[in-house]
Amino acid sequence: MDEDIPALAVEALTKRHGTGAAAVDALLGVDLTLARGTFTAVMGPSGSGKSTFLACVAGLEQPTSGRVVLEGADVTQWDEARRTRMRRDRIGFVFQDFSLVPYLTAAENVALPARLAGRRADPQAVRQALARVGLADRAGHLPGALSGGQRQRAAIARALVTRPALLLADEPTGALDSTTAREVLALLRAAVDELGQTTVMVTHDPVAASRADTVVFLVDGKIAGRMAAPTADAVAAQLAHLDQLTGAAR
Amino acid sequence: MTALALRSLRHRIPAAVATLVAVLLGTALMASFATLVQSAGGAHDDDRELLIIMGAVVGGWGSLIVLFSVASTVGIVAEQRIGEAGLLRTIGATPRQVRALIVYEATAVTLLAAAVGAGVAVFGGRALFDAVQRGGLISTASAYGGGPAALTAAAGVVVLVSVVAAVISSRRANRGPAAFSLRQADVPDRRLPRWRALTGVVLAGSGAVAAVVTVTVTGESADPYAAMQTSGSASIVAGVGLAALAPVLLRAPARALRPLLARSGGGYLATENTTRRPHVFAAMLAPVIVLVSTAVGTLLMVGIDGRTRTAASDPEGVGDTITTINAVVIGMICLFAAIMVVNAAVAAVVHRRAELDRLWRLGATRGQLRAAVVLEAAVVAVVGIVFGLLGSTATAVPYAIVRHEGVLPDGQLWLVPAVAAVAAALAVAAAWGAHRRPDRWKTLRS
Repeated sequence: MDEDIPALAVEALTKRHGTGAAAVDALLGVDLTLARGTFTAVMGPSGSGKSTFLACVAGLEQPTSGRVVLEGADVTQWDEARRTRMRRDRIGFVFQDFSLVPYLTAAENVALPARLAGRRADPQAVRQALARVGLADRAGHLPGALSGGQRQRAAIARALVTRPALLLADEPTGALDSTTAREVLALLRAAVDELGQTTVMVTHDPVAASRADTVVFLVDGKIAGRMAAPTADAVAAQLAHLDQLTGAAR
Repeated sequence: MTALALRSLRHRIPAAVATLVAVLLGTALMASFATLVQSAGGAHDDDRELLIIMGAVVGGWGSLIVLFSVASTVGIVAEQRIGEAGLLRTIGATPRQVRALIVYEATAVTLLAAAVGAGVAVFGGRALFDAVQRGGLISTASAYGGGPAALTAAAGVVVLVSVVAAVISSRRANRGPAAFSLRQADVPDRRLPRWRALTGVVLAGSGAVAAVVTVTVTGESADPYAAMQTSGSASIVAGVGLAALAPVLLRAPARALRPLLARSGGGYLATENTTRRPHVFAAMLAPVIVLVSTAVGTLLMVGIDGRTRTAASDPEGVGDTITTINAVVIGMICLFAAIMVVNAAVAAVVHRRAELDRLWRLGATRGQLRAAVVLEAAVVAVVGIVFGLLGSTATAVPYAIVRHEGVLPDGQLWLVPAVAAVAAALAVAAAWGAHRRPDRWKTLRS
């Protein structure tokens, strides 16, 4: 595939929840292009549209208008079934609540996307994915027998095993203590550096955001600013003065 | 806590409906038979024995099924509250308060449902009495005497069993540290409670004993209906016993079905789910076993009786009437068991919507999720049919031997596939219907 095609291009994306007087505009025209192998953090206050943005990119929600182009393919008008297959095959998802299937072992959770695609997962690939996140010796455990950090690492292994075009992480450290959170962030960073994994992470945490290449600030459904080579302090300072960003954006 | 319980109820209508249906229909069935017993008090001397047998013995078998269904439904519903119980505990509810919430909720629904059920039995009991009288089993000299005593006694037993089941289940909600249950559904390493295992073994054992007694003792008796009295209940008792053991019965057979199903995505999910979380599906399995065991066992018995009855064995000429009444009563009990199959299947699936939603987010198509839900129900149905048929032999085989038909009855074997098909269709259709209720598929967040 042509290396110049961005992993993700979002154009004039809008999303309105509800209709009439109860309508809420979650996204008001978001434009964002992500080159392959980049790590982008999306930050913003509650209600800024972060999660809606992620849901639209992942095809969980249909945008109201605008386009989502994944590796050159416009997925916006795809039907539900096609978007589901896209999510399974082309997108890796890491959730705040881990979203492991409780009755499948760590290894079976990692193999699940392949299973759902009707393939038998390559045991070698599953082993490698688990080893990469340091869970080689926990492959046969059910999620209930894993710690929070281990669950999130298993979820990362599951997200990476298909070598997706895009890894989406929704507050991946939100439910973890700071030490485990650091480990999880290191794994995401390593996936970008070593595997060239294009990654988008929604987060509240300036420390988490500082591990990304770029931070995008989302305010009231619009991109209000960007920061390259972020540090935790700079991100925190910017978050404290988002009103200035919105002023500048107007 | 009572106020909180009532408010919380309004938001859990599907769960409350499961309890409501089980208690309402159960009370209606039990109380109807109870009025026959009460009527016996004022009945003509010749009719008294029959009314007591009909009400207490036949009604007693039905009661066993009713009480088991009520206890198991209340148990499922209470168990589904465990996650919420963890939430309440993290914000400061004491374990006692959490238990009270669960018990009050179950009690509120049960009282309402039992009251309505008793109201239904006011008419049901009279209709049953009229049917028995029209059939000529009792003389016109006796009059219907059912009243508040029978109705409240039956309703009281149902309420008691329901509340006790809620108390037992509520203890589970307080296990483990509070915040633990906030983490999403784990697969708890849960053993069958000892009292339940014991109940199951005792009941299944009594079914087997009744079968042996039928062949060795009552089958030799001069009274042609003595054998029916011991064998008729055997399949019901054995079925309920096996149903109590349902969580341990599911795993091995479900695993045996794995190679058959594991090729498709949905089938894979279905087999892993049924083998790894048998306690979730035991609630669905139990009523299937009871339905198949009861229906096949007792209906075959009635059939054998019809074929082998001779003038000599039926000097009083009441055989046809007994057959009719048997069919009506068994029909009622089977109908109840069938409704419980639907009830349990719906309760099991509705509770799993969040889990299905999670799988959808991970890339399972709706077709795969539908296949998973339907195949799970099918696995449960197949296993339930196998054990149900095992339970039914406790009645059918000894009665066939006693009436000289051999080990297998000579006729009506079509009942076996017919009942199996009905049970499987009910379980699968209910699961499919519950799964496709429309409100689910929106994503949770916005």
